[in-house]
Amino acid sequence: MDWLDRELGQALNRKNPSPDFAERVRWSLHVQKHQPAHGLQWWLATAAAFVSVAGAGGIGYRQHQGEVARQQVMQAFRIAGASLNHIQTQVREVRR
Amino acid sequence: MTGLATAGQALDFDELIGAHQSMVFSLAYHFLRDRESAEEVAQEVFLSLHRNLAAIQSPQHAAFWLRKVTVQRAFDEGRRRKRRPQVALEDIAEPAAAARPGDPLLGETLRRLIATLADAPRMVMILRYQEDLDPMDIAELLEMPVATVKSHLQRSLALLRGKLERRGLGEH
Repeated sequence: MDWLDRELGQALNRKNPSPDFAERVRWSLHVQKHQPAHGLQWWLATAAAFVSVAGAGGIGYRQHQGEVARQQVMQAFRIAGASLNHIQTQVREVRR
Repeated sequence: MTGLATAGQALDFDELIGAHQSMVFSLAYHFLRDRESAEEVAQEVFLSLHRNLAAIQSPQHAAFWLRKVTVQRAFDEGRRRKRRPQVALEDIAEPAAAARPGDPLLGETLRRLIATLADAPRMVMILRYQEDLDPMDIAELLEMPVATVKSHLQRSLALLRGKLERRGLGEH
């Protein structure tokens, strides 16, 4: 072993991580352990998607109901208008 | 934590951290030259070890497994961060004051020079001088021919020696 080997051995000697390194590894394991399991995460995601779809469906249904009501009102106006025209025609004929 | 982990395995895992944390951290630290990144890599390596604890057959297997996974993670992190100085070894400036063997300044100069090597020869040098591994062990870890390992070592040493000797640090 020559001088450069010795110097490299000293320059690249092992160093210690932070004193709390082992504790942080154990804490990370603890956090991973208490995360929801993949199965539970899938069910949560599915439930969230279902709620979103149901909510969107509810809004669509309410919009549909509003359109039906609007058409019914317009139909009522048209019927009332036709009846009024009929009455006016009869009144004119009686006056003659 | 794997669902199969037992209290005995948890105890062994703690012992493995205690026994190998400096080896794992130092491999990553010497390669990345960044303490924070090295601790992140080391933490990932031990979390991975815990997931694979059932496959570890002996303390020697654990040491080999940890070295191999640390090397892989360090390579990945190095590629991701691209922090390595993009300067050729030959282009490193000569320090103003000549260091002497055993001088901390010489150690830091050597670490800086090694940091400028390409990934593979840099890791070869770290495994050779930090872990005191022979070329065959290094070749097995890095999955490269022994001749390639020896070539990396010889070329890196020649470059370092030439650089230091130009500063008046020859044979001692």
